Amino acid sequence: MRTRLLAVVVVAALALAGCTSDSSTTTAVSGPLCDELPKGDEPGNPTALASEPVDQALQWITVLTTFEGALRASELVPELEGKKAITVLAPSDDAFMAKFSQDNLDELMIKDKDTLRTLLRAHIVDRSLSLADLRDADSVTTLDGTTVKVGEADKMARIGDEATTVCADYRIANGRVHVINHVLGNLPTTAGQGDSGH
Amino acid sequence: MRTVRLTGTDVLIKTGSPHLEVPLNHRRSTVIAISALLAATFAPVVTSTSAFAAPLPAFAAAEPNQVTDLTVTQADGFATVAWTPVPGVTDYQIERTAVDASNAPTGTPTVVGVWRPNRQVNNEEPTFADAGFNPGSRFQWRVRARIGTAEQPYSSPVFDTTKAPWGDPAVAGQNLRTQWETTQAAQYTSDVNEYAYTAEVDRLSERVRVVEIGRTVQNRPINMFVIGYPTPPATPAAVAATSPLAVNCNVHGNEPGDREACLIMARQLAFSNDARTLGLLKNTTVLIVPTINGDGRAANTRGNVTGQDLNRDYSLIRQPETAAYVRMLRDYRPVAGYDGHEYGNSQAGDLPMLPPRHQNVAQQIFDESLDMIENHMYVEGAKDGWWACPYGCANGSGVGLSEETILRNTLGLKNTVNSLLELRSSGGATRPDEGNTANNRRRKTFSALWTFNQFMDYHHNQLSDIKTARGEAIEFQAGNNGRIVFRGSRIVPLHPAPHPGEAGPREDLPTPDMILDNAPCAYKLTEAQYNGARTDGPNDVGATVAERIAAHGWKVVKVADGYVVPLAQPERGLIPLLLDEQGEEEWVSGERVYPTLTGRHNGPLTISGFACLSGATVNGPVNLRPGATLVATNTTISGPVNAANAAGVFFGDSVVRGPLQVANTNGPVTVIGTNVSGPVNLVNNTNGAAPYFAGNSVSGPLNCAGNSTAPTNLEVRNVVNGPRAGQCATL
Ligand SMILES: [Zn+2]
Repeated sequence: MRTRLLAVVVVAALALAGCTSDSSTTTAVSGPLCDELPKGDEPGNPTALASEPVDQALQWITVLTTFEGALRASELVPELEGKKAITVLAPSDDAFMAKFSQDNLDELMIKDKDTLRTLLRAHIVDRSLSLADLRDADSVTTLDGTTVKVGEADKMARIGDEATTVCADYRIANGRVHVINHVLGNLPTTAGQGDSGH
Repeated sequence: MRTVRLTGTDVLIKTGSPHLEVPLNHRRSTVIAISALLAATFAPVVTSTSAFAAPLPAFAAAEPNQVTDLTVTQADGFATVAWTPVPGVTDYQIERTAVDASNAPTGTPTVVGVWRPNRQVNNEEPTFADAGFNPGSRFQWRVRARIGTAEQPYSSPVFDTTKAPWGDPAVAGQNLRTQWETTQAAQYTSDVNEYAYTAEVDRLSERVRVVEIGRTVQNRPINMFVIGYPTPPATPAAVAATSPLAVNCNVHGNEPGDREACLIMARQLAFSNDARTLGLLKNTTVLIVPTINGDGRAANTRGNVTGQDLNRDYSLIRQPETAAYVRMLRDYRPVAGYDGHEYGNSQAGDLPMLPPRHQNVAQQIFDESLDMIENHMYVEGAKDGWWACPYGCANGSGVGLSEETILRNTLGLKNTVNSLLELRSSGGATRPDEGNTANNRRRKTFSALWTFNQFMDYHHNQLSDIKTARGEAIEFQAGNNGRIVFRGSRIVPLHPAPHPGEAGPREDLPTPDMILDNAPCAYKLTEAQYNGARTDGPNDVGATVAERIAAHGWKVVKVADGYVVPLAQPERGLIPLLLDEQGEEEWVSGERVYPTLTGRHNGPLTISGFACLSGATVNGPVNLRPGATLVATNTTISGPVNAANAAGVFFGDSVVRGPLQVANTNGPVTVIGTNVSGPVNLVNNTNGAAPYFAGNSVSGPLNCAGNSTAPTNLEVRNVVNGPRAGQCATL
């Protein structure tokens, strides 16, 4: 049997949205983790993402693979893209690994999407907030209805009791993305349970 | 003056360094320490050709404990840094600095590697595979020793340009790139990009045929590259005849590093014209399944879309993905395999590996798999700087066990030499510059590419040993009437220090309830067990046991009141794990059918119904009545055997002193590891599936004719002291 393709796309035509950088305006991100992410002229650099919709932008922020997959699985993207402005407080892959076991993550992403949606709403604010805004504010209300205390933490912003921003001020088409170092919300920690290896 | 270019291949220059071995495998360029270059420049030149060959005075005397003789050798996606060891030191740090064409620094000097003694089997020639950089970039490298934490002087620097991504941008086919490559590892290759890339490799290379081996739950194609030279054999059976090897690249959707290596390797195999590649492909067929779990990869989940961990399903084949892989194994019969993963333990080696350990795996398969890991991967890893180690070597006692549901063990139970491959997820203490995501992703993928290339080399160099192990294993299984172990591992002995230097994987011996000493001869299933509807698949619908048995390729005899699965066949180690009530994860509790004769029988033996001869001796002829079934293991029959219109005939590790005539069987025929003194006739057997005739010794002619499918020897040659005719002419 010959290969049958789900979709025929010419390799050369691969969309490289993250590669297009507009030299006239550059986006400055800040935080200790920014150095680990695409920068300068590299594909996925912050300037290249500034006009991307949230789902596309997240695909270029290399420490957000878990969050990005979870957001797709949650089917919340159309709702977020329909909003005038949003702030995404996106936990890094390390943060997810420290929070959930593999099995728990699969459970959330595959079977328990209501819980997943609630979890993700706890990471999104209904207006665009810069790092400076977060540092200046006392609290923000996330889409799940929770009020989260925010404030200064060195040059970064503190989010809730545990999290701080680690690479802040990514611009996207309708708002901002800040990478944070802890998962928000109130789900129990399951990391380290039932890791059965390969 | 660094290299001389001849016919497009980099030629090594001699430096007199003991570490400058000419690599056999990959084209590489090698550079030597700048001090030696300067020394060469300033040395009195007697003749133009002897300048490099003569011993040269050092440009500057080495300081105490300074690393000397630094060399850097470029390969695909990594650079092997090597040096002369400094006595009495604790470890070494490898420093890398980005430089421009004139070797002026353009980046910050960064310690990218820490060499520790447990990296390699030989500490006399330390090496470190530096990886993570963007291929094609130019760097300076230096190495220094540490005594305790006290840093000693750096070596003289070496400057070199790393190898660009494989493939000439001006040559069609070679110029294909994956999404992961074009985005400099910022994005993994998507499903759609994989299909497009795969189709282009297929279209542009005569060596490649891409086969869809199945579909995922969400109907994504599961493609397999079938690669041979000048073209791959036309049918699965023809591929099987080349003793192919198989790489399974991505079973856990959130472990994508190996898959990117597989896609690059497919391009290299398809379009590379170097002697090594052509040599490999002339002798065998390479099977690459880049994405068995396409739904999980697209969603970035470990399991498939139902949440099932597919690497807990290769024996059970409840899911369409695993069933597709198992059917592929049945049809293409790879003799060796690798299964790619990533591993979250930051203390492990670069490349944890593990052989099939389940105790029902034939000893020969375990031994040969361990040989591949310890005597090839550890040795070559020490040359190229990669740290292979046993899976579970650092605080991993709960992993690497005996579940037959894991591909590593399933493959072993199918008599395939194989290993697990893990890519350590994080840089860990020995690769401190992997906070940068792209660096981390590139190191993992290029370490997988190295491993899979080494796997092909091992297969190429050791094919005779692999085939011997497989043949002996098949004969052992088909004739075995020893105990059955449902769960429990063989011990992987601790490799001598310095490598791995830590505890090996846990013993995991079988508990008494996981052992069946009094093994049956066969399992009998009821109609309901065999053909009944099942609910253990996606959306509560599962394939029938009959369909799953067919996917594994087991021989089944239809009898009046059910279906008999004799154990006298190559997958004897696997069958009970799925059909016995004592199994840890069985399909059904089949009825154990015990031998009907284990001692001596004098005189003719006429069989009607079902007979199982186990360790028996028959002094006289054996005749099967129409509809009868004979299973004989470890049995000697002094007299002719005649089966006409039987329901099934199974011989394993037996002796027939006389002619063997099997005709018009309306069911399976398998004769393995059996010694026949007399002619063998297999004619007009009409079961549909190919009769097995493998690893036998025949004193007399071998004739096969009129069988609905030509018999196969499963690539295990028979010794026939007489003419081979008809459908068995090449067995
Ligand atoms: Zn895995």
